[in-house]
Amino acid sequence: MRPRIGDLASGRAGDKGDVLDLTLVARDEAAYARLEAALDAATAQRFLNRVVPGPVQRHTLPGLRALKYVAPQALAGGVYASLRPGLHWQKAAIWLLLDLTIDDEDRVHEPA
Amino acid sequence: MAKVVCRIGAGAGFAGDRIEPAVALAASGEVDVVALECLAERTLLPALKARAADPQAGFDPRLRRRLSPLLPAARAQRCRIVSNLGQANPHAAGAAIAQLAGELGLKGLRIAAVLGDDVLAQREHVAWQRPFDGTLVGAHAYLGSPAIALALEQGADVVVTGRVADSALFAAPALPRLQPGEAALAGAVTIGHLLECSGQLSGGNFEPIGGALLSAEGYARLGFPLAEVYDDGTAEIRLLDGAPGLLTPETCTLQLLYEVQDPARYLTPDLALDFSAIRFEQVGTNRVRVGGARSHGEPPTLKVAGFVERPGFIADAEIGFAGTRAHERAQRAAEVLRLRLSDWRDDDIAIDLVGVNSILRAGSPAMRVPPPELRVHVSARCADADAAQQIEDEVYALTLSGPAGGCSVRSEKRSRIDVVDGLIDRALVPTSIAWSTT
Repeated sequence: MRPRIGDLASGRAGDKGDVLDLTLVARDEAAYARLEAALDAATAQRFLNRVVPGPVQRHTLPGLRALKYVAPQALAGGVYASLRPGLHWQKAAIWLLLDLTIDDEDRVHEPA
Repeated sequence: MAKVVCRIGAGAGFAGDRIEPAVALAASGEVDVVALECLAERTLLPALKARAADPQAGFDPRLRRRLSPLLPAARAQRCRIVSNLGQANPHAAGAAIAQLAGELGLKGLRIAAVLGDDVLAQREHVAWQRPFDGTLVGAHAYLGSPAIALALEQGADVVVTGRVADSALFAAPALPRLQPGEAALAGAVTIGHLLECSGQLSGGNFEPIGGALLSAEGYARLGFPLAEVYDDGTAEIRLLDGAPGLLTPETCTLQLLYEVQDPARYLTPDLALDFSAIRFEQVGTNRVRVGGARSHGEPPTLKVAGFVERPGFIADAEIGFAGTRAHERAQRAAEVLRLRLSDWRDDDIAIDLVGVNSILRAGSPAMRVPPPELRVHVSARCADADAAQQIEDEVYALTLSGPAGGCSVRSEKRSRIDVVDGLIDRALVPTSIAWSTT
């Protein structure tokens, strides 16, 4: 079975207004290098756009082994406008990245 | 040689946060200040409504429950308290705290209320980031650290505020004791940012790679962090001895970047921070050194959050199915709702299965075995209360006219509140302090 992104990194989702932000922290330098190469902004956007709209920007923080993905239009209208059950579904949104899988050639795939 | 100038405990990260961790920090004798963040973006709206109904209301209704155990513990250790639980009415909160302290027999307590964040009257001077429809019911600027620091320097035992930057609550106590210059200040504000979500820094909302959870006892008694801040703006962040939790460079990095959009330019009222060169180092069990904060200087403007009430509601209703073939019956019920509610535009309604795909939708991992029970969920944007009632009625109607065993129905309707961000010249937002004593 292919490893998950979540085998290489831990993560957390946050939000401010319309903006969804997703942080990954890689477990070591090798995992960071692999994720930095495999999960660029366009790749992340391709998978996130199945669930939330809009562009995705990425910030790299090699000194912290962290990758930051920011989707400025993902939560249009903020948490009170959401059509999910209850409030704050976006706390779980990091699994949209953690559950992606990564193959031997560092291509990213849907959750297994 | 850098020296510790202030020890700050994280006493709360939201208005409903647990009470005991703050009391434990205050009673430990290991902190000079306990700071409590009790005012999320939208928490202000019910507070504004309460204030409109009663000029002496509009602060956190949990004030007495939270402070009754905390005030005596803090007093006994000469620990001071800083909190934004003043919400929409810090002045009245100050008076309420003085009254409570009197009832608790705490004599000579000095309480400072920081005023000035309510900028509804200056709304003409706010540059809103986007146009908005609806009624602007409140506008509050995010104040910075100096007014809080001043109140502490003037001898406040308790500082209560309305809207301030969360980081400012936790950074302010260190301010007057830092080495001069922006680097030390950048460090202190960064430490404030790290502390502002309480247990989220120390093992809460965190799953390590591999998935090892804390024990239930660990989460149930999770320790909140404290920071020993050095005069150069670096710090050691730790838990009290024996407090359950997990404080590592990983938990710190996740909190550092939490709700941050540009890590090289994180705007606070005190400074625009650059987190790129921050480094964390594990120096003991649940003990992490932090340093390396940089700054782009003080922003010329303050952020303003405006609340806009829009007409209409979000209806949110569910119906459960259990037992053999629950999944088939639930799927069929969802199809029935789609037929019954076909008047709603696709963008204004969501129908899905709780337990399968209601949260991550198309990003959900595949279901391998149907769950033994699950719920059909519908949420819809509704123009008025009558339309919201129709959604609820359609869900209930499944109990008589839908697949067998539809049960455990629940529903709610949420009013539609938009938060609009704006900027205001900081010179237009003077602050003042109102004192109460016992």
